[in-house]
Amino acid sequence: MRARVMLPFVDITRQIKEFVVTEYLPDTPPDELEADYDLFRNGVISSLGLLKLIGWIKDRFDVPVDELDIAPENFRTVAAIREFVGNALSAPAERTLQ
Amino acid sequence: MTTELLRDFIAHTKREPSAPALRTRTEIVSYAELAARAGRAQKELDALPPGPVAVLARKSPQAVALVLGCLAAGRPLLLPPIDLGTVALGELCARAGCVEVLAATPEDAAEHPDVVTTVIGGHGDGPAVPQPVAVDEQDTAFMLTTSGSTGAPKIVPLPAGAVARFTGWAGEAFGLGPGEVVFNYAPLNFDLCLLDVWATLRHGGCVALVDPALAANPRYVTDFFTASRVTVVQGVPMLYQLLEEGVFPGVRHVVVTGDHAPVPLRAGLPRRFPRARLHNVYGCTETNDSFWHEFDAAEAAGPGPLPIGRPLPGVVAAFGPDLAPVPPDDGGTELLVWTPFQTAGYVTPDPAAATGRFVTGPDGRRWFRTGDLVRRDAAGRLFLVGRDDFQLKVRGIRVNLEQIERVLLEHDDVVEAAVVPAVDGAETRLTAFVRGTGPGRLSGLRLRTHCAMRLPRAAIPSAIRLVEQPFPRTSTGKVDRKRIG
Repeated sequence: MRARVMLPFVDITRQIKEFVVTEYLPDTPPDELEADYDLFRNGVISSLGLLKLIGWIKDRFDVPVDELDIAPENFRTVAAIREFVGNALSAPAERTLQ
Repeated sequence: MTTELLRDFIAHTKREPSAPALRTRTEIVSYAELAARAGRAQKELDALPPGPVAVLARKSPQAVALVLGCLAAGRPLLLPPIDLGTVALGELCARAGCVEVLAATPEDAAEHPDVVTTVIGGHGDGPAVPQPVAVDEQDTAFMLTTSGSTGAPKIVPLPAGAVARFTGWAGEAFGLGPGEVVFNYAPLNFDLCLLDVWATLRHGGCVALVDPALAANPRYVTDFFTASRVTVVQGVPMLYQLLEEGVFPGVRHVVVTGDHAPVPLRAGLPRRFPRARLHNVYGCTETNDSFWHEFDAAEAAGPGPLPIGRPLPGVVAAFGPDLAPVPPDDGGTELLVWTPFQTAGYVTPDPAAATGRFVTGPDGRRWFRTGDLVRRDAAGRLFLVGRDDFQLKVRGIRVNLEQIERVLLEHDDVVEAAVVPAVDGAETRLTAFVRGTGPGRLSGLRLRTHCAMRLPRAAIPSAIRLVEQPFPRTSTGKVDRKRIG
């Protein structure tokens, strides 16, 4: 099993906000991005942008996204992304492909 | 007449009921099963008040069955962009005269709870095949949308006769019959589906439906393409970019459409589809496909854009305001077309928008102004050189820069707005520059929400930059887009 650094949720939320703002929302202060802002409906993250976000989550949090069942709904808001990351970090080691 | 589409679909169902009609990531749906689902959908539709309906559906076998059910019931069928804002969506359905807004699944309905009126799930009893009612060839079959210069999307009604002629041509041209597998990448509301989905189901082939949730995932798209044993593929350049890692010897026809395919992408096609004939097809929602050009490996790798080729059978072209039969040898003249597949005109509350794009020639022929400028080379081949207005395509969807600017300017705190496109690989990204009434009054996030309520998703700028200095202007007082940014 891989070693993981367990971070408090508040830090994860902050990191997600900073990534989203830096990557997709130039000129926006991270604090202005509400956790429930709809990133899809408001055109912040396109389908290509989503791949980049998932890639970042994989690298930043060491989440094996390739092995997880992921749906776009997991990434609709900062809160949803935080929950996805939180669940993945606390999930048991065994995972199935299907 | 009954629609040829339904007539032939039912004939294939009776001849070979177990043949595959649809294939998805998780299931294969036979002609018999699809016909039964369409029959049940038609029966559910019969309980609703008469009139046009909107189908608000992500791509799925049930959504395809629902569309077939609507066609069989003889109901004009609006396919709106599913990602349109709620306000714009409601307005669009009302303008089309829809008596009901239908969803194929509870999940689709949940996307727009304020708009969807009925879920047609295809459950319960029904006939083994749909029971098509008689329609006239002028009766509207599909209503598709295209973005307008005046704000809201324009509705493009396609008559049953136009759909029959187009699906007839496409089936012959690409051989979409039994045993063939046609890859469908475009969302269900795109005009490309008239070939991928509807022409294929008319001719007895199988449609491989890409899961829209995974459509940007190269591994999924490539694996699904391979597993489906695709023989015919039509798509925008982005699709071929997603398929870049694979080699697909089973493909017979590759159709490139939409934006200009970048040369490196195009040059790779002969290697990745070694046994396929390659086609560049030109068209738009109002007229459907109008020109095509078959190209070989040498032309694929050559510099510069591909020609659009020659008119499809029955298509007539004219050039410039005088409707000249051949384009003058200058920098670019607007292409006008008349096709056997075209709409009679828009459904729009703005008569100017309806008439502007169509002109009637001296012989009474109703030409469509494509807005595309073309030039002719020494060999007589036609090339696109640009557009005569502020329209362009983002992820295969036509958007209008002036429309986006107008929407931004509708915001109370916006003084100036300019939208500037930039091409990034096969993708076009829009940047909006916005100046507000004072420092701190505007927020990029609130402007985004403002845009999302009023524009299709592809038209929401990728980046919104807030600026404080007045915009540079040209000598005639227009915003100088080239000097912004």
